[in-house]
Amino acid sequence: MNDRVTKINTLIESIPDVKLLKPFVQGKFDIEGCISVFVEGLEEGLNFDVSIDPQYPFKSHDTETIKFYNEDLLAYRHIMGNGSICIHTAHSPVLSDKLCFDIESVKAWIRKYYINKDSDTHYEHLIVTNKAFKGNHFAFFFNEVEYSFSKNQFGFVDYSPLSNGIFYKDKIRSNILQVFYDRNRKTLSDVKWNIQLKFLHRSNGVFIFLKDTPSNNQRWAFEKWSELETFLPQEFLEFLHLVEEKSQKGKEKFLPLFIGYNITEAEIHWQVIMLEIGNFPIYGEKVNKQWLTMIDGNRTIDWAITRNCSYKYFFGRGRLNEQLTNSKILIIGIGAIGSIVAKTLVRSGCTKVDFIDYDIKEPENVCRSEYSFYTGISNKTNDLINEMCLISPFFEVAYGGFDYSEAFNFFLKTHLTDMNIKSEIEKHLNEYDVIFDCSADSDLLYLLTQLNINSTLLNFSISNHAKQFVCAAEQNRYEFITTQFNGGVLKFDTDDLYNPTGCWNPTFKASYNDINTLVQYALKHINLRFINDKALRNFVIETDDTDCLTINLKEF
Amino acid sequence: MDKNSHLETVIRTHQITKEKELLNKHIQKKNEVKNALEDEYGSNVYAPFNSGSYEKNTAINTKFDFDLVSPFRRNAFGSGGTLKEMYEAVYDFLFHKYKNVAEVRKQKVSIGLEFYTDSDGDKIKIDVVPGRELNQDQYKDDENLNLFVYYKYGNIDAGSERIKTNVQSQINNIKERANKEKDSIRKIIRLLKVWKNTKGNYPTKSFFLELITIKAFDKGNITGNLWDKLKAVLEYIRDNITNSDFTLKDPGNSSNDLADTLTDSEKDQLANDMKNMLDRIKENDENLKTYFPENPKFKEEDKNRYKTNGSIPMPPPKLNFG
Repeated sequence: MNDRVTKINTLIESIPDVKLLKPFVQGKFDIEGCISVFVEGLEEGLNFDVSIDPQYPFKSHDTETIKFYNEDLLAYRHIMGNGSICIHTAHSPVLSDKLCFDIESVKAWIRKYYINKDSDTHYEHLIVTNKAFKGNHFAFFFNEVEYSFSKNQFGFVDYSPLSNGIFYKDKIRSNILQVFYDRNRKTLSDVKWNIQLKFLHRSNGVFIFLKDTPSNNQRWAFEKWSELETFLPQEFLEFLHLVEEKSQKGKEKFLPLFIGYNITEAEIHWQVIMLEIGNFPIYGEKVNKQWLTMIDGNRTIDWAITRNCSYKYFFGRGRLNEQLTNSKILIIGIGAIGSIVAKTLVRSGCTKVDFIDYDIKEPENVCRSEYSFYTGISNKTNDLINEMCLISPFFEVAYGGFDYSEAFNFFLKTHLTDMNIKSEIEKHLNEYDVIFDCSADSDLLYLLTQLNINSTLLNFSISNHAKQFVCAAEQNRYEFITTQFNGGVLKFDTDDLYNPTGCWNPTFKASYNDINTLVQYALKHINLRFINDKALRNFVIETDDTDCLTINLKEF
Repeated sequence: MDKNSHLETVIRTHQITKEKELLNKHIQKKNEVKNALEDEYGSNVYAPFNSGSYEKNTAINTKFDFDLVSPFRRNAFGSGGTLKEMYEAVYDFLFHKYKNVAEVRKQKVSIGLEFYTDSDGDKIKIDVVPGRELNQDQYKDDENLNLFVYYKYGNIDAGSERIKTNVQSQINNIKERANKEKDSIRKIIRLLKVWKNTKGNYPTKSFFLELITIKAFDKGNITGNLWDKLKAVLEYIRDNITNSDFTLKDPGNSSNDLADTLTDSEKDQLANDMKNMLDRIKENDENLKTYFPENPKFKEEDKNRYKTNGSIPMPPPKLNFG
């Protein structure tokens, strides 16, 4: 017996309420043994087969390298299909400490889920065995729809292939659900996504809403078609048979079957079963002189991956304050600052964001903005709309093309003395809740102060070397910006500017990191003001990098 | 930078006499509304009068405060008529009369008439403040009025009928105090109004700023040049407004506390704004220009624009980027 095995046996025996039922021995890879763990409230200890990986006490990626198995506990929560309990335990590089932590976690599991039969407040999704189907993994993303499905309602769906990727060592194809139709192909509900996603090429699938979960113990999705047999009405099986017959004339080799069920009273989850066209797990059988469609129960169910990508889950891990995310936003000027603002807002849950910029994206813009080299030379507005559509399936763009930008600039700068046009421009701008002016265009700054706008208007600009970041948020924005930059208030290098090749104006020197640090700082401050329902004031963010970087925000 | 000289320039460029035409338009419109009220209510209304800053000599030319107080007789809306009924009736009258030419809005204690932009691009705004005498025929003796609070007004709840005031006393008080202090108070009030305008829709009323300036002069030893005095008033507001025992008595009725017209968070915001302003100006005098800008319409020419040698100045370089 090696030292590690001896040590484990000795340690286990020393832990209170733990008995060594079968001493640990070195297996081919793992160390294996059997223990009993007792906690108050049990009549006798619960037995577990234990396997310890060679990496122990370190984790393998996110997974614990010690497993406690008991197949008799499958009916309880937080048990894997192989009977191992899910424990969340603490880190320790010392084997003895780690073993104590892990046994404590097992005890905590026993108390919580075995003795008290606690249920968690959040829903635990079914455990689905995802395998490659015909050499590919498939993933389907769905969104919540405003439609009430009835039990056993079935019909067609449209879905669109999104992209191909690599899933560990296999290929994977991701898809989005587009439309639900009834069996006569009448639209039941459109699935909302951004405009680019809606224009993707579409393929066909089918759906059935079971209402009840297709699972054992509400935990593990069925593995065999026989388990689904009682869930699928004959009418649906006949529909499936007809669909297969028709599909054989098409090019597709497979068909996804969306299975819907309630995970709460108001929320539906969809799983997808992959069906091979020409090899559906159904067959015809004559029963009492009538042909019925039967299920080939021995066949294994080929589950695909599904994800609920509705707004609340997509932005579930973090988003900006609702006052911002619910706002209709306009960003004027989408260079370095504007594009970073746009991307931050869209990644953080804002959906209605329009852009104004007359400029063209060049390769040299890429290094400090949110554009990609891959899309080459393009209008900044069009390019950024594409970028935003790639990020958020909920990004809605109403205005933002080149023509819109030109019209805005022309009307604002040439017709301000025309009261009717001025009033129209004001009306148009007042449709926005928040306007970010990141253009650093002094003319525009002045003109905007001449308009009667109720929107929250924020002017962002930066000094050379990103030494200071200035946000004007009040009526006196013109005086404020002018005083800060041209009135000698802010001190920064005015000589060491970057001169692009050609007859262009010199631009400031600063990296993506320099700029983004300050933009994020500013947006965080603004978001905080919204959270606390406090009025926004002009502010300057000053940096000092003489030693360690210090960032200081001064409100005016 | 000479802070005093800048502040004097700010006051000069905001002199109401510089906007004679606009002022006349306001006076004319105010008279029109006054006549309309008198025609409609006849002997049920005493002569409506202007109680705004123009009347108190504290007006600035970027925002004309024209408040038209309409003193109604006690029984103008029936012997049992409520203040709410008075407010609603006056609103209905003004709405029907002006709905095609102005935005007619219910405000905290007044009804706002914002006339649509005229051909010169000017917007005239008149606030009508309906008030009712305390007892039938008493107004001519005591000039006291009860006001109705339509929207929550600081800590005063919507629907409250507890504001009793004497607007004439309010006007006289500010006028007299301003005269006594040889213009100091008036100048500071005007500067505070210029500052308030830079904030857009600020919750603190001009009347509040007028009274707190007077109180600061009463409480502290405010001396020195214009900047010293302004600074002392700003410090007074910063240091006192959030104190729980701070009160601001209405000269029209000493039992009214104007401090109640701001909520606690509005007082915090005001104190914070004063603190920020003082800190930023202390860091750099130039920041004074942000808080107290000249009226660009009447900005005075920079005499040193062209150097003595007659050379053309270099255009300033672009220093802010996006």
